[in-house]
Amino acid sequence: MKLGTYIFLGIILLFVFSCKKDLAPISGCTDNTAVNFNTNAITDDGSCIFFNTTPITIETPSGFPNMNIPSNNPMTVEGVALGNKLFHDKILSGNEMQACASCHLQSASFSDTNQFSAGIDGFLGDRNASTLVNVGWNNSNFWDGRASSLEEQAYDPIVNPIEMNDTWINIEMKLNADNEYPTLFKNAFNIDYIDSIHVVMAIAQFERTLISANSKFDKYLRGETQLTSSELGGYAIFNSEKGDCFHCHGTQMFMDNLFHNNGLDIEPFTDLGLGKITNNASDNAKFKTPTLRNIEFSAPYMHDGRFSTLEEVVEHYNSGGEYSLTVDPLMKKLGVGLQLTNQEKQDLVAFLRTLTDSDFIGSN
Amino acid sequence: MKNIFLIVCAIALSLSACKKEEGCIDPIAINYNVDATLDNGDCDYAPINVFIHFNHYVNDTALVVNEMTYTNSTNDIYSIQTLRYLISDITLHTDNGIETLLDEVHFIDISIDSTLILNIPQINYQNYTSISFTMGLDSIKNITNLFLNENFFPSFVWPEFLGGGYHYMQLEGDFNTVFNGYATHTGGTNGLDFSFNKTFQITDIDNININMEIANWYKNPEAFELTTDGIMGDINKQTILKSNGIKDVFSVN
Repeated sequence: MKLGTYIFLGIILLFVFSCKKDLAPISGCTDNTAVNFNTNAITDDGSCIFFNTTPITIETPSGFPNMNIPSNNPMTVEGVALGNKLFHDKILSGNEMQACASCHLQSASFSDTNQFSAGIDGFLGDRNASTLVNVGWNNSNFWDGRASSLEEQAYDPIVNPIEMNDTWINIEMKLNADNEYPTLFKNAFNIDYIDSIHVVMAIAQFERTLISANSKFDKYLRGETQLTSSELGGYAIFNSEKGDCFHCHGTQMFMDNLFHNNGLDIEPFTDLGLGKITNNASDNAKFKTPTLRNIEFSAPYMHDGRFSTLEEVVEHYNSGGEYSLTVDPLMKKLGVGLQLTNQEKQDLVAFLRTLTDSDFIGSN
Repeated sequence: MKNIFLIVCAIALSLSACKKEEGCIDPIAINYNVDATLDNGDCDYAPINVFIHFNHYVNDTALVVNEMTYTNSTNDIYSIQTLRYLISDITLHTDNGIETLLDEVHFIDISIDSTLILNIPQINYQNYTSISFTMGLDSIKNITNLFLNENFFPSFVWPEFLGGGYHYMQLEGDFNTVFNGYATHTGGTNGLDFSFNKTFQITDIDNININMEIANWYKNPEAFELTTDGIMGDINKQTILKSNGIKDVFSVN
């Protein structure tokens, strides 16, 4: 009798339990591409929320190639805004005293006015802070080109002991505990845990928007303004083999994406530049050609910031430069130089100043 | 009776011998029929995987960069540090006029190994017997901003002041002393087209060697003197380099 009752109850329980599933299935979002996808849901209740970013299309300036945008980090409004915030946020440094923008000021073509920049602990770097002008077209980054992408580049200064001197573990902890960042990263990348990969992706997206193509020179090319006779004279010297600036600073990008030794020093070199990265002696003392756009505001000049004015830069080329094993053959008359007249030198500097884009510098 | 049997046999034999088998009779075709004696005009061929190798020599020996060991026809001692150039309209030809364009523009930089071999896979088989190419870019192609996304942009751009377009070649080094740099840069200057086309017979379609004898840019028919001055706008020097180039700078084997 007892056993029969148990069996009877058991059958009823089983029946009820199995029926429950049929009668009241779990409802929720059943689309696995949705942000709130419920793996247990059987019926869709129309509650799906989809991750939705607003794409940004980069308008390629006249005379520029297509920008290098990694396929896994497309440009979005959300990503760029997040990158902009990160770029200016001191949370990315060890003592929260420095942001990327501390050494990459918009007013200085996203460089700074110092020969070498001091990190959070007061240590000086050994190279001039790079400008960030049209960096989306760079094939490599840093003066020695050691980072091929902007994403890769952004990993470095944040944890460099003489720069922002933080650790990625610490930064991930700070950002995940922040009031705003988890939502911003969720909106930009659909991630629930903020990691270093997405920090550098956002910063790189922001950097790709730092586009300068509206200088006086651009307006001249578009027929919207005239250049002075001095500026035109400089333009002609720049593009002649007499001045021979164009071989490295040619095209409307005003850079060649290559590395050169422009005759600054004799051997032994104190800074091997590209050679230190490639371990190839023929690359020693070669540095990445910087763009000349907005060059007026990025003093001092050269990889080590040795020249404080554009006049000094022109005078370096005018004097011909120093011989070394790796000096570029385009420095054709070492020790003799271009032999420009004072007027020609002034014209050249006047032309370089037409590359100033006030919109980009934020002075408009 | 015996004779009749023999006659029948002989007739049967001769009939079967006369019946020729039709099929593809080209031994390199994938459907080559060994038994076929009569061409049915229906041969299929495997696609060709073409490799073009670009090789560089100075006075018949392989180029060694950065050594001040070469002597040109005007007795200048010189080194070669940079050699980059464009070869365009690389085309295979058959004897009956069929042409296949392998590559519109190819950039060669001796410091980048991947540019020294051009691989064009899956070319439809034809009995190609010659290859032609243009040194530089002809005036249809040599247009500013036409090749913004090629690997020779931006370094090969030729300023508008000198007619625009692109360099054909950047050959650079030092001569006589390490303080003298030369830049043998060729291109269409001031609206003139200095590109030239060459055609060579080929035997092995799979592996084609295009060889540049660098020293010959500077001689035959006319001696060319190295200079620290730019030559990009110098029509006379560009003319000499073109005529020397056409003569015997390139060979193919």
